Amino acid sequence: MNLQPEKGELCVIIGAGPAGLTAAHELARLGTRSVVLEKDSLVGGISRTVNHKGYRCDIGGHRFFTKVRVVRKLWEEIMGDDFLVRPRLSRIYYNNRFFDYPLRIRNTLKGLGLVESFLMGLSYIRARLFPEREEKTFEQWVSNRFGRRLFGTFFKSYTEKVWGMSCSEISADWARQRIKNLDFMAAARNALVGAKTHGNKVVTSLIDQFHYPRLGSGMMWERLQAKLAEKHIETRLNQQVIRIHHTGGRVTAVTARDGQGRETRVDGEHFIASMPLRDLIRAMDPPPPQDVGNAANSLRYRDFLTVMLVVDAPEVFQDNWVYVHSPEVKVGRIQNFKNWSPEMVPDPSKTSLGLEYFAQEGDELWTMSDDDLIDLARSECVRLGFATAGNVMDGAVVRMPKAYPVYDSKHGESVEAIRNWIGTLKNLHPVGRNGQHRYNNMDHSMVSAMCAARVVRGAEMDIWDVGVDKAYLEEPETVGDVERENMITNEVIRDTFARYDAPAMGTALGLMAAIVLFLMSMTLILKGGEPIGPTLMLLSNYLPGYRMTLVGVVIGALQAGGWAFLFGVLLARAINLVVGMIEGLLLRRIEIVRTMEDGD
Amino acid sequence: MAEKSRIDLEWKMLDRAVARLRAGVMAVVFGMSAACALFGATAWLLIRGSKNIGQHLNLLGNFFPGYAVTWPGAFIGFGYAFVTGAVIAWCIAWIYNIVVHMRNKRKSGGKNVLPGGA
Repeated sequence: MNLQPEKGELCVIIGAGPAGLTAAHELARLGTRSVVLEKDSLVGGISRTVNHKGYRCDIGGHRFFTKVRVVRKLWEEIMGDDFLVRPRLSRIYYNNRFFDYPLRIRNTLKGLGLVESFLMGLSYIRARLFPEREEKTFEQWVSNRFGRRLFGTFFKSYTEKVWGMSCSEISADWARQRIKNLDFMAAARNALVGAKTHGNKVVTSLIDQFHYPRLGSGMMWERLQAKLAEKHIETRLNQQVIRIHHTGGRVTAVTARDGQGRETRVDGEHFIASMPLRDLIRAMDPPPPQDVGNAANSLRYRDFLTVMLVVDAPEVFQDNWVYVHSPEVKVGRIQNFKNWSPEMVPDPSKTSLGLEYFAQEGDELWTMSDDDLIDLARSECVRLGFATAGNVMDGAVVRMPKAYPVYDSKHGESVEAIRNWIGTLKNLHPVGRNGQHRYNNMDHSMVSAMCAARVVRGAEMDIWDVGVDKAYLEEPETVGDVERENMITNEVIRDTFARYDAPAMGTALGLMAAIVLFLMSMTLILKGGEPIGPTLMLLSNYLPGYRMTLVGVVIGALQAGGWAFLFGVLLARAINLVVGMIEGLLLRRIEIVRTMEDGD
Repeated sequence: MAEKSRIDLEWKMLDRAVARLRAGVMAVVFGMSAACALFGATAWLLIRGSKNIGQHLNLLGNFFPGYAVTWPGAFIGFGYAFVTGAVIAWCIAWIYNIVVHMRNKRKSGGKNVLPGGA
């Protein structure tokens, strides 16, 4: 069966996740026809929402937070009044205790105890004074910034659960991408200014709240699929792309296979692919050069499964999700879907929990039967104290292969080799998290898709280099209200963290002290009398040589100026030290947030 | 890349940001503080009362003609202290800002790298 272009150019989009559907929407807006091929029976990719007897379950947690205006506008346009603003609460469960997340000093001290906190402080000081010179691994990177002890407590076990390998094998690139490029201004704005209202709408804070569709993150993509259908843009489900035909530096068609094994060839002028990069290369017909194939084969993914448990209790815990660091259980994170949106459960007297396990396709966890997985989740839930054996009423399992691209030590080289080769195919544009093998958030994936759509329409940009920056997508003369507000708050933040210039402060205080003492002394001398200024003369105890004569006054004024200069320098340095400490605390807090924010 | 360079630029700006003193604000704050302090000190001595009332504070009359430890003097002193405190603070801020400007200019090779005074 063939699907041939009817009239005008046709763009074939592989994958109906956030990136694929966004690309189709953007192409429609720009006047280019497209067809979306999705291998699963649901749209949304990793952001889908699965419905089990009315209980809705997301694959991981997906906060809708972005600073990209076009993305935010698109979300708002799609969801309308169904876009809720939800409070955020998430904590860490470790050693049978809850720790606030992001970490708060008082709560952490209380949870760890004074001795452990003290040791952690010593470890932090040691790391700052004697950091490891080499920073190739995640372990080295985090230890250098937070100390080995804090790394061991709050990073090691959870990170190893997520990635299924030792922190000493995980590339520091992962931490760098998540943390080092942090937008300090944006985070500081949120920390200092908090949630701001913009018109009638609340601009969500990075930390305190987020937007979320009423019926789960998948609602966004189901709505977008429906909108596309209204514009006669077809989303074909259960169509797995198995071959990508190319010749003469251009992709000409793809072949997709449905659930019954029937194959369909779809010809097109342009191809936007959000399928995993490894699968994309493997599907190439003819195959790429050997080294590119090897590079693709070396790419690794982390798979993910959620066990949803229905608990017969109106409230289990207050958090949207809990990070489970305790190494004695396999579960990595627990979502409380009802706290994301009350309408995620059909009955308010019940709660649905999503116990998330990070796995590898084919490993023991992945191949466990659904019943065994539900039993495991139930027993761990009971062990953690979130349920009793009797009040877990039902369960379901959702498996999501290739949920996370793995940042191992070789991934950078491999992606570069693949990217270079794909660059020779002028009409193939990989987008999204798996499409670019990059740990993107949803908004970043959407931006890459919007840019790909513009490249299809003739724009010149390298979509591999696209970040979540408005400059790629917005008209240059358009400066939105939010950006204007940000400019103003940036100035406030700069002022807040600006340092005093110590020599300037010393000079100002020194000069004024000298002038004031000189003028006061000269006033008394000119007034005359006997003795002249006995009280002021007491200063000679501190300013040797100070007398009520012209020379004595000059000597005294110079000394007063010197002491005041010193005082000014020390005062400025003391203020700067305190400002630096506040900035450092804020920075550490943001870094912790960025380090832990995986799986979104 | 653009995102990275924007963040780099923000970091640079933050690192280079030098606080300025607002001369007007400092003048008002210092002026009012000095005025209230002198008024309060004078009033305290007057309320407490004694034979040789405020013999040391009276010495300020050398610099502030008309000031004495009396109720009218307290008000006169309030005015003098306000003006003196304000002038000194304004001068401190002015000198500080000039020195900062000169040092910044020298560091940036004559270019004003941080518009907006920070």
